[in-house]
Amino acid sequence: MNPTTMRSTSFISHLWQYLFALGMIASITAVFLTLRDILGITVIALLYLLPLGIITAFWGLGPGITSAFLSFLTLNYFFIKPYYTLAAHRPTDVVILAIFLVVAVVISQLVGRMQAGLAAATAREREATQLYELSTILTGLHDDRAIVQVLAKQVQIVSQGEYVELSITGIQAFVFHLPDIDRPARSPELTVPIQAARGILGEIRLWKINSAIPSEEKRLLQTFASQGALALERAWLVQAESRARVLEESDRLKSVILSSVSHELRTPLSTIKAAASSLRSNDVNWDSAARPELIAAIDDEADHLNMLVGNLLDMSRIESGVLKPKREWNILPEIVGSVLARMKHLAEAHRIEVDVPESLPLMPVDYVQMEQVFTNLVSNSVKYAPEKSVIRVRAFVEGDLIHVIVSNQGPQVPQEHLERIFDKFFRITAADQVTGTGLGLSICRGIIEAHGGRIWAENVPDGLAFNFTLPLIWEGVSPPNLPMDTETE
Amino acid sequence: MSNAPHILVIDDEPQIQRAIRTILTEKGFKVTTASRGEEGLALAAANEPDIIILDLGLPDMGGVEVCTRLREWTQCPVIILSVRDSERDKVAALDAGADDYLTKPFGIEELLARVRVSMRHSTRSQSTQSKIIKAGTLTIDLAWHIVKRGDEEIKLTGTEYKLLSYLAGNHGRVLTHQSILINVWGPADANHTEYLRVYMRQLRKKLEADPERPQYILTEPGIGYRFISDE
Repeated sequence: MNPTTMRSTSFISHLWQYLFALGMIASITAVFLTLRDILGITVIALLYLLPLGIITAFWGLGPGITSAFLSFLTLNYFFIKPYYTLAAHRPTDVVILAIFLVVAVVISQLVGRMQAGLAAATAREREATQLYELSTILTGLHDDRAIVQVLAKQVQIVSQGEYVELSITGIQAFVFHLPDIDRPARSPELTVPIQAARGILGEIRLWKINSAIPSEEKRLLQTFASQGALALERAWLVQAESRARVLEESDRLKSVILSSVSHELRTPLSTIKAAASSLRSNDVNWDSAARPELIAAIDDEADHLNMLVGNLLDMSRIESGVLKPKREWNILPEIVGSVLARMKHLAEAHRIEVDVPESLPLMPVDYVQMEQVFTNLVSNSVKYAPEKSVIRVRAFVEGDLIHVIVSNQGPQVPQEHLERIFDKFFRITAADQVTGTGLGLSICRGIIEAHGGRIWAENVPDGLAFNFTLPLIWEGVSPPNLPMDTETE
Repeated sequence: MSNAPHILVIDDEPQIQRAIRTILTEKGFKVTTASRGEEGLALAAANEPDIIILDLGLPDMGGVEVCTRLREWTQCPVIILSVRDSERDKVAALDAGADDYLTKPFGIEELLARVRVSMRHSTRSQSTQSKIIKAGTLTIDLAWHIVKRGDEEIKLTGTEYKLLSYLAGNHGRVLTHQSILINVWGPADANHTEYLRVYMRQLRKKLEADPERPQYILTEPGIGYRFISDE
């Protein structure tokens, strides 16, 4: 739409207002003419003020003033003797005419101004309401996309535009538009930058056919844009802050880990150092009974240290997601058997009952990792359950899963900690009461989850039970049944 | 000491070199060390050692490559040193021709035991192979296909016997899953570890006093199996 047609539209609407005013004065004059002899000039002059007020109130100052002069002329022409002339002979008539003109103009002015003020106040109130609504909605939002959606919607409501597009520039650049149609081919009628303290965040583009965008509306859209800018900046600040908090938290966790690890590493190191240095210093006689004991301590603690480092490595591999099981069809009783055989000396003080039937199907697992799961679960039970108590290892098929339970008669774990005992470095007892890295169970969880299984702990009447399930189906294949040869040589 | 067995140690860590050199020299071996793969290959060609101890984590080349290049011209026994959790590397090196492996950190008895087995293999490969293997109460006659526990003959199926004779024929050495599968079942079944698991379990039930705590056929987790004989 070009400026010329815009002006002509407003000119036509104004012309109509003047024509209405004219018509009103004309018809009232016609009515008064019939009453000219009854009412007298003073009353008629007063009565003329009535339509003047109405005209100004409805159509504004311009038609009002015009009607005031028009009424002055008609009053003079039709109602002041001599009739049908613009002359006045009597001094009272001249006074009446003069006062009428002044009063008419003043009334028009007053009503007109009041009217304009009212319209402006209404418009301002509407703007304020819209702005209030926008900022209320924006306050609750912390997501930049949601903010942009709300902003676009409000811009569309206010402008009644055909198409609204919001484009956000910078690192997280994106574009949102309303309604969900193709963007008009022409360039937008209005572009408002979204300006924040740190620079331009983007812009609002508005397409609006067949009407001008009044300056108030432009101003309102600019206010919207700056509200949007504030909201966006706030959202990004909140995001940055929560990122900072996450970093801080992981930093804190790292120092907890570091202190726990250095404590765990230093214990065997101290033993090794003490034993080795006393052997070296010749304090210990060559034939002393202490000698083999010190040597055994060095050997044992070196193994312990090796296990700690192994656990730490496993944990970091689990966390970085590189722990990929090398799955093969394995025999569960073989794995359990070899683990328990190896742990025999560790579990001497406990009675171990195994119910892992030979009839179980082959399991698609990583042999070494599964050994580690059983080793960790059994050694955890050994560590916490009282001597002479029973540790049970059971396995059975449950649908297309294998369910394994390692239970002990050790202390129960408070309900709220049952999940957390699989977190790394989580301990219910104080760290110096039990040896270990606090990693065993979290390594189990890492391995079981890498196999697509689930692990959990539950309190049972006489103790604690570790459960895990593993899928028997591997890449869509069920456990194979092998054709065995039976003929003997 | 001119007839002392000669061991070449290829390892880039000076502490390990020092420890192995001290211990092996003490045990009467002649020890040469190299800290890089290329250097090791050159020393192996120049000195023709009796045994090579090779670390898998060398700075200049992979252990598997060193094995492959050694095997191009020598059958000298190769013992691999490597850290835990690198089963894939160990298996790859074993399949590339290495004879045995040791996981760091290792006890010195383990190292000496591996060295002894390797020495035996390198001398035996020159002489004729023993046809009767003894392990505890077991006697395996590879020529006559007879397996006895004490005086009692143990009945084995064809596959079980093939498996046992391959293991016993290489007694003392670690055999990878793949090499057992290829030699017993054939190259087509090289990846069917489950065959091996199932037959091994049956075999153990027939041979071992306690199949859960085997004395003769040991599991090398993630790698393979090893047959332990009296020799």
